[in-house]
Amino acid sequence: MIETKNLTKYYGSLAALQNLDLHIGAGEIFGFIGPNGAGKTTSMRILATLLDQTSGTAFIDGMNVNKNGKKIRKLVGYMPDFMGVYDDLKVFEYLEFFAAAFSIERKQRKSIVQGVLELTDLQGKSHAAVDSLSRGMQQRLGLARVLIHDPKVLILDEPASGLDPRARIEIRGLLRELKNMGKTIMISSHILSELEEICDQVGIIECGQLVFNGSMEDIRQKMGVNRKVRVQVADGQKDIAVKLLNNIEDIENINTENSHIAITLRETKKNEGIIAKTLVNGDINIISIEPEQLNLDDAFLHLTKGLVN
Amino acid sequence: MIETTKKIISFEWLTGPIFGKELRISSRRKRNYILRTVYLLLMMLFVVLVWNATMVFSPGKAGDYTYIASRMAEAGKYIITTITIFQFCTMPILAIIMLCTSISDEIYNKTLGVLMTTPINSFQIVMGKLLSKILQIVLLLAISLPLMAVVRVFGGIPWIYLLSSLCLTLTTILFTGSLTILFSISGRKSYAVILKTIAVLAILFGFIPALIAVIARSILSDPDGPPQLFMACLYYTNPLFAMHINVINMLEVSFPFSGGLYWPVHCIIMLGMTLAVLAITVKRVRKTALAQITGQETGTTKKKKKNALLNDGAELDYSNATIRSVKGCPLVWKELRTPIIKGSRKTNIIALAITITVLLITYVINHVQDALDESIFQEFYINVFAIIGLVTSIALSATTITTEKESRSWPILLATTMTDRQIIIAKAIGVFRRCLPIWLLLFGHVILFIFIGYLNKASFIPIFLIITYLIIFFSGTGLYFSSRFKRTTTSVCANFGLAIILWLILPIIFTIIGEITHKQTRFSSFNNINPVVQISSIANGAGGSRHSMESFSRLRFNWSGGKKSYSDSLVFISTTAVCYSSIGIFLLWRAKARLRKNIFN
Repeated sequence: MIETKNLTKYYGSLAALQNLDLHIGAGEIFGFIGPNGAGKTTSMRILATLLDQTSGTAFIDGMNVNKNGKKIRKLVGYMPDFMGVYDDLKVFEYLEFFAAAFSIERKQRKSIVQGVLELTDLQGKSHAAVDSLSRGMQQRLGLARVLIHDPKVLILDEPASGLDPRARIEIRGLLRELKNMGKTIMISSHILSELEEICDQVGIIECGQLVFNGSMEDIRQKMGVNRKVRVQVADGQKDIAVKLLNNIEDIENINTENSHIAITLRETKKNEGIIAKTLVNGDINIISIEPEQLNLDDAFLHLTKGLVN
Repeated sequence: MIETTKKIISFEWLTGPIFGKELRISSRRKRNYILRTVYLLLMMLFVVLVWNATMVFSPGKAGDYTYIASRMAEAGKYIITTITIFQFCTMPILAIIMLCTSISDEIYNKTLGVLMTTPINSFQIVMGKLLSKILQIVLLLAISLPLMAVVRVFGGIPWIYLLSSLCLTLTTILFTGSLTILFSISGRKSYAVILKTIAVLAILFGFIPALIAVIARSILSDPDGPPQLFMACLYYTNPLFAMHINVINMLEVSFPFSGGLYWPVHCIIMLGMTLAVLAITVKRVRKTALAQITGQETGTTKKKKKNALLNDGAELDYSNATIRSVKGCPLVWKELRTPIIKGSRKTNIIALAITITVLLITYVINHVQDALDESIFQEFYINVFAIIGLVTSIALSATTITTEKESRSWPILLATTMTDRQIIIAKAIGVFRRCLPIWLLLFGHVILFIFIGYLNKASFIPIFLIITYLIIFFSGTGLYFSSRFKRTTTSVCANFGLAIILWLILPIIFTIIGEITHKQTRFSSFNNINPVVQISSIANGAGGSRHSMESFSRLRFNWSGGKKSYSDSLVFISTTAVCYSSIGIFLLWRAKARLRKNIFN
C-alpha cells in the first residue's frame, strides 16, 4: 500500500532522509520509531503530499505522491504531531467542515460526522468549542478528523504523545479497531511499548537512514531474543544448577543475575526442554523457566547508536 | 554596601533578567538591523527633500553668499523640524509594532506562568519588556543626533526646541508602548493588538478632542473657535497638539503658547498616564500569569468561563448551543462564520449602533453649522471611510494564511482535497466580507448625500471603481505576503510597507526627481495614483451643493498637474483600476503558486 524508493530529503545541507526504502502492505500497522530529528515526521509529510522530497519516489496504492496529490489526499488521512484548531468552531462544525473539504456530499455529512464521533467516543462533546477540549479530547478529535473521509491509509504522527495512560490505552484500542476495518496505518511514537502490542511491522530510523525494517519476529531474531531463557531455582541451588547447565552443549552462554540464571542457547528456544530435563535430573527445584520477552526499548537501543542529525 | 549600590545602578530591581533576555533576542533578529537601515534611509530622504526645497530651488541670485547663508539657517530649521516630526510620528508606531506580542507571546508559549515560579515579579516583567524595546527606539533616536548636530551648525534652531521635541516624543512612546503591552495581554494576534492600540490612540487624541471642540464651538457659538481653556487642556493632554504647538513655537515666535514651559507639564501628565496604564498592566499580567500556572482561564467572556469549567472537569450542557451546517465551499463558509469583531453578537451590534449614532451626531453637528453642503465635508468623510477601509483591508488580507500557519491548522487544511484555487478564492472572499461593513458605510454615506443633494451622482462610479481596485489589489498583496511569511506581524508590516512605499515614499522620490529635472508637473502627477488623492479629487469636485446639481460635463476635478474633466478623470481612474487590479490578480496567482511551499517553515 505504501512504498518508498531511495526517498531523500535535504534541508539545505542537512540530510533529513537518506535513501529510505519502505514497503508497507495493505491492512498492516507499521510502527515508525526513531529519536527526535531522525526523519520520521519528514517521511510522513512527504507521504501526505505536504512536502516535496529532494530525490527518490514514494507511492501510495500504486500512485506517485508527487503526481497525484489530490487523489493521494483523498486516500490518506494525515494526523500531524500537533493539533491545529480553529478557534471559532464547535466539534461538530469542525468535523463537518473537513467533511465538506473532502467533498463529501451534504446529505451524508451529518451521519458520517456522527459516526466518527461515536467511533472516537466524542458524542458528548459535539457542541463544545474545539479550543476548549483537553489534550486527550483534541487527539481524539484529530483522529476523528482523519477518519472523516474514510481513507484507506492513516498516517499518524505521534498520536499518543502527551496523553495519560488511560487515553493511550483507548487510542491503542481504537487503532486495533481501525486495523480490523482494513485500514493501513503508519504510526510513529516515542512510547515503544505501545507499538510493540499493535504493530505488524516496525521501521527504526536514525539520522535519516532506516537501520531496521521488519516484523516483530524479525526483531526477535536480530536481537537473539528467541535464544534467551531465564531460569529461577530454589535458594542455595543456583551454583549447582549453573554447574549442571555448563555441561549442556547447546548452551552458548550462562550469566547469573540476582536470583535468575540468564541462558543464551546456541540456536533457538526449541532446545529449552533440555534445560528443564537436566535440572530436574540434577534434583534442582525449578521455580520458573521463561523465554526472555522482546523489549522494543532494548531493540531500539541495540539497533540505534544515539546519533542525532 | 557595594553590592547594593551595584544592584541599584544595574537596574535589576526594575527589570530583572527580562531586560537582558529581550535585548539578546532582539540582537539576533535581522529585522531590527533592517529597521535601523530603513529608518536612516527614510530620514536621509526627508532631509534631502527639505534641503532641495529650501536651498537648491529657492529663488536667489547665484553667488549671493549672504542670501545662501540665510537660506541655510532656514533649511536647518526645516530639516530639524522634519526630523523631529518624522521621529514623533514613526517612533510610537514602532513602539506599537515592537511591543504588540510582548505579553501574548509569553502567554501562548506558556512561559508567563513559568516566570511566576521564579523570583521575578510582574512589575519586572512589564518593565523589562517595555524598557528593552524603548531602549532600541532610543537608539534610533540617537542615530539621528549627529545629523541634527551638523544641521544645527546652520543656526536658527533653539536648544529648547530639540529638548522639548525629544521629551514629547519619548513620553508619547512610553504611553503608546505601555498601552500596547496592556492590549497584548488579552490579544493573541499581533495585528489585532496593533489596530486596537491605534484605534484607542485615535479616539483618545483625535476623535474625542475633535468632538469636544466641535460641540464646544457650536454650544458657545464662538466664531473664533474653541475657548482658550479648551486649547490649554488639549495642550497638556494631547501629544499631537503639543507637538504641533511646539513646532509652531519654533517657526513663529508670536504664537500664544510661545515662551512658556508648557511642554514639561505635558510630559509630566503623559508620564502620569503611562504609570496608570502600567499599574493596570502589572496587575493584569500577575493575574494572567498566576491563572496560567494554576491552570485556570482568566477571561471574563462566556466562552472562556466555559473553557475554565471544562478544564476543571465539569460537564457542560451543550444542548442549547447552535450548530451551523456547512453550506457551499467549506472555507468560504468558515471565513463567513468567523465574526467580524471578536466577541458576542450582542457586542457587535452595540459597536455598530454606537458607530452609526456617533456618525449621525457628527452629521447633525455639521448640519447645525451649515457645513454639510461644503465639498470639504464630503472630502473629509469619504476619505475617513476610505482610509479606515484601506487600513482594515491591508491588515486583514495579510493575516488570512499566516493566522492558519500560527494556529497550525494550515497543514491540515492543505491535506484535504481542496484545490489551491478554491483556498485562495475563499480567503479573498473572507477578506472582502470582513471589510464589507466599512465599505457599506462609505457607500451608505455616498448614496445618502447623493439623495440629499450634497454630492453629485457622478461621484458614485469613480468611487466604486477605486474601492473595487483597492479590494482586489490588497487581497492580492495581502494573500501573497501571507503565503510568503510565517508570522502575521511580518506579513501585515510588509503589506503596510508596500502601501507606504507606493503612496508616500515613491511620490516623495518622484517629487525630488521632478524638482531636480525641472519637470515638477510630470513627476508630481505620480501622486494621482494614490487612491486617497483620487477620492479627494472626486469628492472635492463633486461634493457640496454647488457641484451636486451640475451636469457631468461641467464638473472639474483637481489633480496634481492640473484640472481634469469628469470623463478624463474617469478614464484615468479606470486605467489605474485596471493596473492595480491586474497587479492584485497577478499576486493572487503568485500566492496560489506559493501555497504549498514552506508549509512547515
